Amino acid sequence: MYLTEKDVRGIATYARIGLSDAEVAAMTVDLNSIIENLKPITEYDLRGVEPTFHPIAGLSNVMREDRVRSGFTHDEALANAPAEQDGQFLVPSILGDAGGDR
Amino acid sequence: MAVGFEYPDLSVAAIRAGLAAHDFSAREVAQAAIARVDALDPQVHAFLEPTPELALAAAERIDAALAGTDAHNAADASAAATHNTALDSLGPLAGVPIAFKDNMNQLGTHTTCASLMLKDYTAPFSATCVERAIAGGGLPLGKLNMDEFAFGSSTETSAFGRTYNPWDLERVPGGSSGGSAASVAAGMVTVALGSDTGGSIRQPASFCGVVGMKPTYGVVSRYGVVAFGSSLDQVGPFGRTVADIAATLDAISGRDLRDCTSQEVTTCFTDYLERGVAGMRIGIVSALTDAPGIELEIVTATHQAVKRLESLGAHIVEVELPNAAAALAAYYVIGPCEAFSNLSRFDSVRYGYREPDAADLGEQYEQSRAHGFGPETIRRIMLGSYLLSSGVYDTYYYPAQQVRTLITQDYQRAFEQVDALITPVSPRTAFRFGEIADPTSMYLSDIFTIPINIAGNGGLSLPVGLGETSGLPVGVQIIGPQFSDENIIQVAAALEATYDIRRRAPLEAGIHASIEDRLGTPLKAPTQASAEGGRQ
Repeated sequence: MYLTEKDVRGIATYARIGLSDAEVAAMTVDLNSIIENLKPITEYDLRGVEPTFHPIAGLSNVMREDRVRSGFTHDEALANAPAEQDGQFLVPSILGDAGGDR
Repeated sequence: MAVGFEYPDLSVAAIRAGLAAHDFSAREVAQAAIARVDALDPQVHAFLEPTPELALAAAERIDAALAGTDAHNAADASAAATHNTALDSLGPLAGVPIAFKDNMNQLGTHTTCASLMLKDYTAPFSATCVERAIAGGGLPLGKLNMDEFAFGSSTETSAFGRTYNPWDLERVPGGSSGGSAASVAAGMVTVALGSDTGGSIRQPASFCGVVGMKPTYGVVSRYGVVAFGSSLDQVGPFGRTVADIAATLDAISGRDLRDCTSQEVTTCFTDYLERGVAGMRIGIVSALTDAPGIELEIVTATHQAVKRLESLGAHIVEVELPNAAAALAAYYVIGPCEAFSNLSRFDSVRYGYREPDAADLGEQYEQSRAHGFGPETIRRIMLGSYLLSSGVYDTYYYPAQQVRTLITQDYQRAFEQVDALITPVSPRTAFRFGEIADPTSMYLSDIFTIPINIAGNGGLSLPVGLGETSGLPVGVQIIGPQFSDENIIQVAAALEATYDIRRRAPLEAGIHASIEDRLGTPLKAPTQASAEGGRQ
């Protein structure tokens, strides 16, 4: 067992996913099973092996000229917002009930 | 409609020839495609959002351009030749019905990633691959079903219902690009685009008996495609023939200033269709192909394909990929870590599902993500979150990246000896719905495809007929050296020509009139978007 339910609750908080008690229990079983299958990674002799963070070696970034381009308009950027007010993204109170209008 | 116009089997080249000869118009092709989607998609459910009016509008533009050229050259004796020139200027996909996986933004359509999180998201821009396919003459028929955020191998994790395999409606089409494979296999579109992070193009292509290709990482721009694993994701085409794949790749490949990983590609892939394999060195990996757990019919089909290549004059060379087994574990570290990072953008503030009545911002994040994402997506995010946490990083993530070096070196060594590799695509043919419920078993179905994403090379699934036991489509995988994707096209086209097999599933409208009666209700009712169809 790699993870307890308490660990899973901590991970969920970090990932900003609200899980119910039943979901935490099921997730704990699933994650332990998956992590067990990752074991080969821990068993290789990797001394002196450099990591590869990107699949294609020896390529350079593609850069464009540093020139101003038009992007989304204000309306386009807000078009998919679940809630907006005065041309801005609207969120609930950050500081709790005292924080103002919802 | 002109005589001989059998839409479901038309190839890219046949559409081009038909337009040039005035056998039919692009509008007639679009209408035939729309009718085919209307007739068959109730059974297949490949489409999340059909876009018939966009297809018709694109067709009108092509017909107008061709008519304009005709009028201009009415008195010219070489008008026919000029007509071809006009077609050339319209691009490699002129008049070709195409559809896009629903993780690709297309201006004015929904981009749901088959997730409740993005159910109502309307794309304010187009992905480069979509833009190029349409600029290349493609007729956009709609957006296609997939596993939610591309997490899956069966399209069963879609929040908007299953896609049914056109060869056997009781089976999965594979995934995650299941809608793309099924739409082509059913003859609803000529070609489709998908994305491949660990096999999500090649495995569904093999399950649905069509050709599917993941090019080398960097060949096709990912701009505007919702990211899953940024060091693994690549966009690629589905088609019923290698020639159709090559034409599509010609349209969408190449450098894009909006994706810094995209590379200059000057190759014309269509030029490699007729070159044959005489003298080419093609590698086989017996330790992989003949490993336990692989269905006998898959092994047999692979061996037969190798024999055919040999009889065409290819030199068959035994090569080794000693670290292939570690690729799966490396993938299930790297993939979730990158997904965890990429999916943090779904914050319910700028776009996406928002849980109503949250007390504060923290609760809004947590409840919106818990209810907007499906179970498999949450599992991957949770796994990535754990693997990147302090202390754990050094146990899994860093070693996974070192293993990646070993796997990449395996392929580099192999491609010093050969021009292409041939392996199976999947250890088995299409499975039944719900047959693989355990997530770990599902992950194992990508064992032949995942190492290619880890190494960055290109790979293609080629249908080689029906399995001896299952009677379902079997594919073999052709793999090429990095940025030598033309080798893949060359080998696949030569091998394809030796098979006289069905290119399209034997599915016609009305045969399974009441699929709901046989299979029960889909997991979830189709969304408003798919039920209304064509909503912009």
